[in-house]
Amino acid sequence: MPLLELKNISSSYGNVQALKGVSLRVEQGEIVTLLGANGAGKTSTLRTISGMLQATHGEVLFEDRAIQNTSPEKIVRSGISHVPEGRRIFPGLTVTENIMLGCSNRPKLSKQTMMAEVEEMFGIFPDLKRLSTMLGWQLSGGQQQMLAVARGLMARPKLLLLDEPSLGLAPVIVQQLFQTIRQIRERGMTILLVEQNANMALSVADRGYVLEVGTLTVEGTPKELLGNEEVRAAYLGGGHH
Amino acid sequence: MSANPTSPQAAAATSGRSLFLPILLLVGMVGLALIPFTINVGDYVLNMLMQAVTYAIAVLGMTVVLGYTGQINLAQAAFFGFGAYVVGLGTTALGLNFWLALLLGVGVAALAGAILGLTTLRLGGHYLAMITISFQQIFDLVLNNWIAVTHGPDGVSGIERPMLAGIDLSDNRRYLLFCVVALYLLICFVWWLPNTRLGRAMRSVRENELAASVVGVHTLRTKVIAFTISAALGGISGGLYAGGFAYISPDNCNFARSVEFLTMVLLGGAQSPFGAALGTVLLILLPEWFRFLKQIYLAAYGLAVILIMVFLPEGLWGLVSGAWRRVRGVIPLALPANIPALNLEVPAKGSAPILKLENLQKHFGGLKAVDGIDLEVTRGTVHALIGPNGSGKTTSLNVLNGIYKPTAGKIMVDGVDVTDLAPHERAGHGVGRTFQNIRLFPALSVLENVMVGAQRDNNPIASGNAALRERAWSALQFVGLADRAHLMVRNLPYGHQRLVEIARVLAGRPKLLLLDEPAAGLNQTEKQELVGLLKRLRGHGLTIFLIDHDMGLVEKISDKITVLNFGKKIAEGTPAEVLRHPEVIAAYLGEGPAGAPA
Repeated sequence: MPLLELKNISSSYGNVQALKGVSLRVEQGEIVTLLGANGAGKTSTLRTISGMLQATHGEVLFEDRAIQNTSPEKIVRSGISHVPEGRRIFPGLTVTENIMLGCSNRPKLSKQTMMAEVEEMFGIFPDLKRLSTMLGWQLSGGQQQMLAVARGLMARPKLLLLDEPSLGLAPVIVQQLFQTIRQIRERGMTILLVEQNANMALSVADRGYVLEVGTLTVEGTPKELLGNEEVRAAYLGGGHH
Repeated sequence: MSANPTSPQAAAATSGRSLFLPILLLVGMVGLALIPFTINVGDYVLNMLMQAVTYAIAVLGMTVVLGYTGQINLAQAAFFGFGAYVVGLGTTALGLNFWLALLLGVGVAALAGAILGLTTLRLGGHYLAMITISFQQIFDLVLNNWIAVTHGPDGVSGIERPMLAGIDLSDNRRYLLFCVVALYLLICFVWWLPNTRLGRAMRSVRENELAASVVGVHTLRTKVIAFTISAALGGISGGLYAGGFAYISPDNCNFARSVEFLTMVLLGGAQSPFGAALGTVLLILLPEWFRFLKQIYLAAYGLAVILIMVFLPEGLWGLVSGAWRRVRGVIPLALPANIPALNLEVPAKGSAPILKLENLQKHFGGLKAVDGIDLEVTRGTVHALIGPNGSGKTTSLNVLNGIYKPTAGKIMVDGVDVTDLAPHERAGHGVGRTFQNIRLFPALSVLENVMVGAQRDNNPIASGNAALRERAWSALQFVGLADRAHLMVRNLPYGHQRLVEIARVLAGRPKLLLLDEPAAGLNQTEKQELVGLLKRLRGHGLTIFLIDHDMGLVEKISDKITVLNFGKKIAEGTPAEVLRHPEVIAAYLGEGPAGAPA
C-alpha cells in the first residue's frame, strides 16, 4: 500500500483548469520529485494534496483514507506537512517562535523536547541560530526560505511536501539543504519534492514524474529520466553548454 | 496554475475602448430625464431622482480615489458638505451668484482634499481610514457648533436655483435635466481617466505602490491628485444638491452619509463610473421598494449589503461586465503593423563609471546589513553581486534605488549624486530595476504594465499616449511577449511575468539596469532564454548590475563579480578569479555540485 496515492485528480482555479487527471503514488520512505515547466501544475498538485486546493474530480488517498474533501488543518494533523514556495513565514514573530509554531500539530509535545528539536534545526541551519531572536521580516529572502523549511520539518510529518526549497538560496546552502533532505529520509520521513533545479532533485530522488500542462507524461527512476532525451532537453538543460 | 492564453479573464480592452456604453448611457439618461416633461410623475419621484443624480457625482469621486487609486476615503460627505454649504451660505448670506458660489464651493472642497491628502497620504490603509473619519467628525462638529456662520443644526434654507443661458432652472424637471447632463459629462470624464498617463499611475499605485515608485511614478503626487479630484466631485455633488433641495443641514453631510457613499460605490462596483451610478440609484431606490418590511427594514438592508460585499467583491457592475466579457470572449489586441525596434542606446558620457558607491552603509538597529561598500560599475558591462543569504545584496539594491535611505555613504549614478533622491526620482535619472519576488501590477494588462514603465520622467520619447504605447510594444516585442499584450498580468505563468517585469523596466530606457535574482524560479530552458536576453541587452550597450545564485548563469554573462559577506566586500574580479577564490568557496559556493549548470 503506497503512503500517498492520487487517482485521476483534476482541479482548477476558477475556470482555469490546473490539473487534468493526475495519478501518482508515493511509497513509504521514498523521495519522489515532480518536474515540469512553470505553470505545468506542480504547485497545484501539492496544494491539492494538502487541501488548499479542492479537487474537482478524483481521489487523494493517504494511508488508504480518502482525504480530498478534508480541511487543511485536519490533513496536517493526519501527518502531511506542506512547505509552500514563497517563504510564507510569520513576519512579526522571532525566528525561534516561527520554528516552534511548526509543531503546533503535536499539542502534547513537552517544552523540553520542543526546544531540543529547535536546536536540531539550528544544527541543520546554523544561520538561523545566529538570527534566532530576530523578527521574521528582518531576514533576507534566502534566510526566510531556510526558516520556512525548518518550520515544515518541525511538524515531524509522515509525508513532507517541499515546494521549491532551494529558491533563492546560496549554492553552499542548497548543498546543505539537499544533504538534510537525505538525512531526514533516513529517519523514515517520506518526501514529495518540487524543484526547478532538476539536477539536484534527481540526485536525491528515488523516482520522478514529469508534469506537462496539468497531465503526467513520464515516470521513472532518476537514471531513466536522465536518460530520456526529451526530459533532458526540456528540464535539465540537456547538453546545450 | 497554468494560465491559458485564451482564458476569458483577459484584461478589459485597453485601447480604442468602445463608445457603445457611453452613447447608450447618454440616450438612456437623457431619455429618462425627459419623461417628467411628458407625463406627470409627481414631486416625490422627482426629488428622489434628484437625490440619486446629485449623490452619484459624489460617488464618482469614490470611484477615482478608492476604485482607481486604492485609497480609502471616509470623508466624502465632508467634501460634499463644503460644496453644499458654500453654495448655501454664498447665495443666501453673501448674495453671490449661484454659479460663482458653486465654483467657489468646488474650489474649497478641492483645496480641503488636497491639504488633507498632502498631510495624510504618506500613511495608508487603516491610518488613512482613521484620519479621514476624524476629519469628517471635526467637520460635523464645526457645522453643528459654529452657529454664527453655519446656522448650526438648523441648517441653511431658502437656497435659490439659478438661470442657465436664459433658461430658468427653478422648475424641478429642468433642474433635474441639467443635473443629469452634468452627471453624464462627469461619468464620461471618470470613464476616460484610467487610460490616461495619470489614470495608469493611479492604478499602478493601487496595484503595487512600491513597484510604482521604483518604476518612476510619483506616488504621493498621484494619490493627492486622486484625492483632490474626488473632493472636487464631492463639492460639485454638494453644490448641486443644495440648489436642488433649497435646504442643507449638517445631517446631509455627516459620517453616516460618508459610509453611504462608500456603500454605494462598493455595491455598484468601484472599478467603473457606471458601477458608481448603478450603486447610487439602487441604494436610493431600495429603501422605497422594501418599505413593506417596516421595522426590520434596516436589518434587511444591512444583511443585503453584507451579502453583496461577500459574494460580489467587484460589485454589481463587476458581475455585469464579467458576464459580458465571458460571452464576448477575449479579443486580442491587434499587433501594430510595424513595431519599431527597441532603442536602448544610452548617450555616452565619457568613461566615468556609471555607478559609484562610496562607503555605503545601511544599518537596521544593531544589524549592519550593508557595512561600508565601495564599488564601481563600468559603463556597458554586466556586473554581478553574489554572496551568502543575508549578506546584504538585496539591501544594497534597495539602498541603490532609494527604497531605503543609506545610514552613511554616497551613491553616484552617471556623475549625479542620487543619495538623497526618492525612488521615482532615481527612476527619472535612469535607474531601472526588477524584483526578487516579481512585483507587477496584477490587474493591469501586460501592455499597460509596460506603458507605466515608459512613463518615467525624462524618458527620451515623445510625449503623449501614442508614444508610450509604441514604446511598450517595442519592449514587449524585444522580450517576445507582443502576442500576450492584452492579457491581464495575473493570469500569466511565472516565467512570462518575469519577462513582463523586464519589458517594463526596458520601456523606461534605463541607463543602469538592476536585476534582483532574475533567474529565480525559472527552469533550465527558461534560464537559457534569459541568458540569451541578457546577452542581447549587453550587446545594446546597456549596463547591468545583477544579483543571482545561479553560478552557471552568472559566470556566462558577467564581466565582473563582487562578493559580499556580512555586508562587506570580500572579493572582486573576473568570474574566473572570483569563483576560485578560497574565501568565496568557503562562504558561498561550497564544494559540491549545487551551482547547477544553466
